[in-house]
Amino acid sequence: MIQRYRASAGIMLAPAVTLIGIFILLPMLLTVWLSFQDWSTQTSFSSASFIGLDNFREIFGPTSVGRDFTGALTNTAIYTALSVALILPLSVAFGLMVYQHDVAGGTALRTVLFSTYMVPMIAVALVWSKLYSPSEGPLNQMLGLIGVGPQPFLSSPRSALISIVFLNVWQQVGYFTVLAIAGLTQIPGSLYEAAKLDGANRFEQFRFITLPLMRRTLLFSAVIAIINAVQVFEPVALITQGGPVGSTNVLTYHIHRVGIERAQGGLGSAMAVMLMLSLIVVVCALFALANRKDQE
Amino acid sequence: MSFAWTSKLALAAGFAILPASGWAQSVNISYLTHWSPETVALLEAAAKDYAKTNPDVSVTVRAVPFGDLLTTLRSQGGGADGPTIGGIYDLWLPELARDKLVAPAPDAVASEVKGAWPAGVVSAASVEGKLYGVPNEIDVYALNYNKALFKQAGIAAPPKTWDEFKDAARKLTNKNAGQQGFGMINSWAAGVVHPFASLLVSNGGELVKDGKPVLDSKQAGETFQLYEDLIKSGASVPAMATADANTTGPFLDNFVSGKTGMIIMANWWESALKTGMGDKFTDIATAPIPVGSSGDKPHSISYSWMTVVNANAGQAEQKAAWDFLAWLNNPKSGKNGASAMSDILMSMGILPSRTSDIDAHKDKLGSEFLSGYVSVLADAKPFPVVPGGQEFSESLQQTIEALQYGQVSAKDAQATAQADATSILERAAK
Repeated sequence: MIQRYRASAGIMLAPAVTLIGIFILLPMLLTVWLSFQDWSTQTSFSSASFIGLDNFREIFGPTSVGRDFTGALTNTAIYTALSVALILPLSVAFGLMVYQHDVAGGTALRTVLFSTYMVPMIAVALVWSKLYSPSEGPLNQMLGLIGVGPQPFLSSPRSALISIVFLNVWQQVGYFTVLAIAGLTQIPGSLYEAAKLDGANRFEQFRFITLPLMRRTLLFSAVIAIINAVQVFEPVALITQGGPVGSTNVLTYHIHRVGIERAQGGLGSAMAVMLMLSLIVVVCALFALANRKDQE
Repeated sequence: MSFAWTSKLALAAGFAILPASGWAQSVNISYLTHWSPETVALLEAAAKDYAKTNPDVSVTVRAVPFGDLLTTLRSQGGGADGPTIGGIYDLWLPELARDKLVAPAPDAVASEVKGAWPAGVVSAASVEGKLYGVPNEIDVYALNYNKALFKQAGIAAPPKTWDEFKDAARKLTNKNAGQQGFGMINSWAAGVVHPFASLLVSNGGELVKDGKPVLDSKQAGETFQLYEDLIKSGASVPAMATADANTTGPFLDNFVSGKTGMIIMANWWESALKTGMGDKFTDIATAPIPVGSSGDKPHSISYSWMTVVNANAGQAEQKAAWDFLAWLNNPKSGKNGASAMSDILMSMGILPSRTSDIDAHKDKLGSEFLSGYVSVLADAKPFPVVPGGQEFSESLQQTIEALQYGQVSAKDAQATAQADATSILERAAK
């Protein structure tokens, strides 16, 4: 009986497992294999030659290859950390505002917030590159009205990456607000009523009811926000080309430059493997932290 | 006649006309470029002219931004469905040829090109003696300056030496008006490296000699120092120098709006200046690159573009592509003895490289803006076309930008540039 059950389960799972194997696991294993090869992206896999850990030594070495890779890894980490640090609190704040039943225009606000997520990145990048323009950009003109001098935004290595982060936050916050609202709907209203009877003010209700009960939603949002941020490519390719002085050169853009433009497939694969490992470590750490909190 | 007989006769007739219809089948070829829509329209018009005598060949033109051109060629050129013809920068050729993405020119095209183009341009379109592309444009760098700003600052003539250059840059700088003397460029490899290289060769130096980088020379050290001096004195402001993926952006905006006194740029940006400046374009003049204390006379960096054919396209498509390119670059396809390609290039202010085209466009090349470029062509030094050239260029860009933003000193920039270039070119040569 159990054997028949196992056989039928295996048959039913086979199509999905096969598809996952072909389209997800195989490319990942291929990338790992290529990371140990010297291979030009434009030639067949058979032309790849095994070079052991040389690609990894190169990307962590002292030459320009190593400096560019570690710079891109650092930029990606900063971009991701800033994006998540801004998106999560903002999404909860907007979620709370929109979720209030007694606030007029809540639905309209929800639509406006989500609409930024639906705008294609090409349009967002074009508009924001003009907003940030140092000479004729509206942002600098508005700053001028309150007596603040022109800011370089994308033209300075100090502010270029942060400027790209703001663009990302503006586009993504609506989506995460919708997730936050979904989390808020899961909290029973009776808890707030009980808290009110006990004399809890709004802040205490938020601190001791809303936030703890939204932990799972926030964990999910954080994981998605991290994955989205790590994959940033379009604004860098369209606006800054990784500059100035490599200050916006994030890993996906750098891998594209190395692996496709320069056709250095082995080096590009080694960089992709490191990006994948970093992402796995961060997401696992996040889940471990959340599990520990749950156990406490 | 029964239905069965009618069917058999129809089938037989179908087989009979099959070879004829096979011959009449049209060949579709595509042309990938980074040109603007206006220029693409001119190329499409030329393709229509070609179709009048070659009705079986249809040419479609596809344009992508300059920043995406190499990626598109690399990602789509590996298959038969990729672009049949691509316009490429000579620096990309050695690696595209190594990876067998581009086809060698047929003998007829190769002998025509070798006889009708200057030897230096032919060599930039060749790898190991084999011609891979039909050269079209040649670009050279010169000093562009704003005559109105020069007049305001009391400067009578464009600077001829680096001392005069630094002095003019200082006089043209007006911090309160947001005006810089000399405009550098950043966030675009060629935009950063070519002006630097033009100053370097005008100081008697070179980027690469016999396949090895020579950025550790005294002349290169002086060029890095010139950049540091211009930045430290405030005569050049890096925040005004940014370029975007379309090779436009603040560096161009600042020059066309009269906030930059001088810039070193190539001839092809004449059309961008005209569009941005309108009537004020007459304020712009061209002069040779100022000469450094270690240099003998003004030199410039030159580079060329060519059209190549996808080595993975079908035989019929490749044959049609070479035939179209031979026609497009032939003196009979354009006006007054010029090739159709040169007419398209001249609409953008780009110098054609075919000898007969330069003669045919003598009048326009004598304009105030372009004559300054034509005059420096003879002493121009080609940008080194070596394996790893693109990576070398991007690496040097990073170092020069770090110098622009004060992250490294001129001395450190020189040492880093030489070390990086050595490692990149050695690895690429393996």
